[in-house]
Amino acid sequence: MPPAIHPVDLLQALRHQRLTPAIVFLTSRRACDEAIDSFEHRHVSIPATRSAAITHVLEKMTAEYPSIADHPLIPTVQHYGVAAHHAGHLPSWKIAVEELMRQGCLDAVFATTTLAAGVDFPARTVVVTQSSVRKDRDIMELTVNEIQQLAGRGGRRGKDYVGFVVVTPSPYIDLGPIANGLTNHPEPIDSQFLLSYPMVLNLLKAHTVDHIQPILEKSFAQFQINQRADRYETKLDEVETQLEAYGQRECADWITQWQSFTLAKKRRSHHRLKTRHDPPEVSAQLAFLTPGRVVELSKDHAIVLRQYRSRGQGYAMLTVIRSGGQIVEYPANTITAVIDEIIDVAEARKFPWCTPHSLKHAIETLENFPTRLRRLPIRVDQDGTDSPVLTEMLSHEFPCPTCPARPACQKDHPQALKLRQEDHRLTKTIHALRTELWHRFQQHVEVLQKFGYLTPACQLTPEGDWARLIRINHSLLITELIRMGAFEGISASLLAGVLASIAHDDDRPASFPGRHPALISTLGQVRKVAHSLSAYEEPPLLRWDIAAIADLWIGQPTLPWSEFIRSTTMAEGDLYRLLARTLEYLSQLHGLRSTHPGLADSARDAMDRMRRDVLQELP
Amino acid sequence: MTNDVLAKQLAGLPVKLLHHLARKRVPRHFRMGKNRLIQTLLALSPDQQAEIETSLASLLQEPARSPDLPKPPDTPSRPSPPRHNVPAEPAPAISTKELFEGIGVPPQRPFKPDDWQQEAINHLATNDVILSVPTGSGKTYVALEAMRRAIEAEQTIIYTSPLKALSNTKLTEFSQTFGSDQVGILTGDRRDNPQAPILIMTTEILRNLLYDAASGEIDMRLDTLGLIILDESQFLADRERGVVWEETIIFAPAQSRLLLLSASIGNPDEVAAWISSIRSTSCHLIHHRNRSVPLRAAYLDPSGKLAPFFRTRDIAHGKGVALHPETKRLFANYEDRTLGPRKR
Ligand SMILES: Nc1ncnc2c1ncn2[C@@H]1O[C@H](COP(=O)(O)OP(=O)(O)OP(=O)(O)O)[C@@H](O)[C@H]1O
Ligand SMILES: [Mg+2]
Repeated sequence: MPPAIHPVDLLQALRHQRLTPAIVFLTSRRACDEAIDSFEHRHVSIPATRSAAITHVLEKMTAEYPSIADHPLIPTVQHYGVAAHHAGHLPSWKIAVEELMRQGCLDAVFATTTLAAGVDFPARTVVVTQSSVRKDRDIMELTVNEIQQLAGRGGRRGKDYVGFVVVTPSPYIDLGPIANGLTNHPEPIDSQFLLSYPMVLNLLKAHTVDHIQPILEKSFAQFQINQRADRYETKLDEVETQLEAYGQRECADWITQWQSFTLAKKRRSHHRLKTRHDPPEVSAQLAFLTPGRVVELSKDHAIVLRQYRSRGQGYAMLTVIRSGGQIVEYPANTITAVIDEIIDVAEARKFPWCTPHSLKHAIETLENFPTRLRRLPIRVDQDGTDSPVLTEMLSHEFPCPTCPARPACQKDHPQALKLRQEDHRLTKTIHALRTELWHRFQQHVEVLQKFGYLTPACQLTPEGDWARLIRINHSLLITELIRMGAFEGISASLLAGVLASIAHDDDRPASFPGRHPALISTLGQVRKVAHSLSAYEEPPLLRWDIAAIADLWIGQPTLPWSEFIRSTTMAEGDLYRLLARTLEYLSQLHGLRSTHPGLADSARDAMDRMRRDVLQELP
Repeated sequence: MTNDVLAKQLAGLPVKLLHHLARKRVPRHFRMGKNRLIQTLLALSPDQQAEIETSLASLLQEPARSPDLPKPPDTPSRPSPPRHNVPAEPAPAISTKELFEGIGVPPQRPFKPDDWQQEAINHLATNDVILSVPTGSGKTYVALEAMRRAIEAEQTIIYTSPLKALSNTKLTEFSQTFGSDQVGILTGDRRDNPQAPILIMTTEILRNLLYDAASGEIDMRLDTLGLIILDESQFLADRERGVVWEETIIFAPAQSRLLLLSASIGNPDEVAAWISSIRSTSCHLIHHRNRSVPLRAAYLDPSGKLAPFFRTRDIAHGKGVALHPETKRLFANYEDRTLGPRKR
């Protein structure tokens, strides 16, 4: 996103307050390029003497880096004293811009925020136009570290009394994060210890497996883990001190004892008649609610005909006959009182649950009751003492029902149990932390054993012995391809193409030179292998257009760079990086010359052909 | 509260508070500008809006409308934003003129190393050193001086950077200081002057060398390696590549001194404690936040007008944020203009 102010006006404002030279950080390469372009339409050129100085510096640089000579941006730089500096440019051009800046020839450099670390030159002023950056697919707020890294380029030691950071808005800017970034303490950094297959192989090449754990423990990862674990240990100590109060009682491990006792109790009482839903006042009543019992039902009287349990939930239910002769079902807890009166009722197996004679007798009795009857006092055990049957059953297995410590156990158990669970949790966490790296190491070892790079005794097999030299991303895929002979007899350019598509991890689209069958079929094979390894290693993108680009550069040794870059829409800086990365990968294959001489030769050949033109300018 | 009233209230809030309100209610709210945020908040379900109104009420309760803020001239209807983080009785804010006082080029002075630079160099004789100081302070001087001493002691030096681009810059810089025959560079496929006492490479290449040395097969001698300089060592925390810095530090030869150059990070003491815990000598930390060239902040309005960014001239550290009233006003105007017509 371009800043709200026109770049020419921006520079004018800075010049007016003598704030140049400046580095203007913008969100995208395009914004940088457009900013430079915009100078063309507003003729505000720099003095001729400075143009001459720029020409002079560029000429000197060209002697070392010929690719600078015809750079299309040179006229702009000479006229307006501004330049763009971002990853889309060749390294040689970036070096030239940096040198111009160091010599004080430029008023402003427009650079992308993403490569702030690569901008290793200072200026009097740094212009910030954003408070967030694109990272992968997300927009992330700039961290304090990042903001200070940007702003820190303002003010050159020995050349400035004072440096400036100038904030100017663009869409999606927010002043808060910038203000915080400028004033706050930078964030602490954390270890990012990624284990890789080559790391495991190289460790096991130099050390036996029983020496590995101490080595892993030397990592910053483990150092930080230990600090976390130490904090947990402190907590654990506290918990254990608190637990001391709940030490040995009648039995050594009363917490477990009590827990299994209460558990057993629950389970048994559940099986036994499903009484678990009954509140204490109901279960106390149930024994009295037998057929013939007179009860009080909201100011009225009724006689119990039957007691039963509801089908689904097992609630205690009653069938009663009310005055007036209605036969109704009620949950037992709707009984307001139990009356000290029982009439004779002859039970029956089905509705109305008693003999017709008894029914008649009941109706008559109900009609003749006085309004006030004596209620039966029923003792309700509020603490839910177990039914005598249950107690009897459980005391065979547990001492608890009759134990003198029982009240104490009952009272302390919830707190003691909580503490003990915390104790277990902390112990587990600490153990997991302390052994985390070792576990990850072992997981890698298992995979390497499965594929035959390591023996069961964790020694390198002959395969493992060369595979450890492939110390790049996607190493498992590359070594597997080598083992299955995928690279045998293929041309140097095709080899480079395949490696380029393995190395390239950017999915930004680019156009591509024509495809050819050999490349497509080889990549198809690689893709299959990569897919079969996906459980052990993230497959690379394997873009065939990327492979075709590398294949083109190496396959046509007379193709000049200027023509090459026209064959694709990729920026030349990206092309350069792609090829440089491919060189890196090829050099790893070249490292296998003692075991794979043919492959190494092929790699050497590809590297030699690749190292021409701009790819030869820098080591 | 009608949508209209709520919209007005929201518009009067700083974006930070809007983000606060949007948290957990609007996915990816941090990607939005003020206008989009307000519109999205207004489009939420009535329930959520009621919640927002409640939080809003509690937010607006204690800070009164700031009396000293002039109303933006071109938007008279807009309530001025509530004040946040402004101390009860702030010192008068500086003027734009004051902000830009003292710009210029200091006279050339004979070079005299800073105390911390000398301290670093001295400690490198016996200790590993971490240098965590602000950008542009002069870490390179320490590196150069340490290299000079190592060369005098007939030791070799490895200098690593995370980026090839930086390696090239350093090659030029070191060649100018020590002569090009004294400096070599190693990449995956090229070795320029590998017998030179100073070797520049990426950290990955050094890590590979150390692995080769550990397995006893190396075509380069590491036993004379006296100094390893890891530039930009905050890369230790890089998601993908950070592990390479760890491996390098773990396997660095015992006799070599380590010099870690780092931009400011929050916990250099922790890194120093780690290195001390695994190496034969202790690691000395040099850490300060004093910039050798003071830094000031300004706000540039799209109209071309410059204003102080903070109320104070110098950037205060960790003292809470107090934006300059003029910058607040200009930025509020900018947002008003760019947010387009407000929903009525
Ligand atoms: N003691 C000193 N007195 C005066 N100038 C110094 C002193 N030390 C270093 N400088 C100058 O300060 C400038 C910045 O130094 P240098 O490039 O080493 O910074 P740095 O700390 O490496 O910054 P970065 O974080 O950007 O890598 C250089 O021009 C250097 O000559
Ligand atoms: Mg530096």
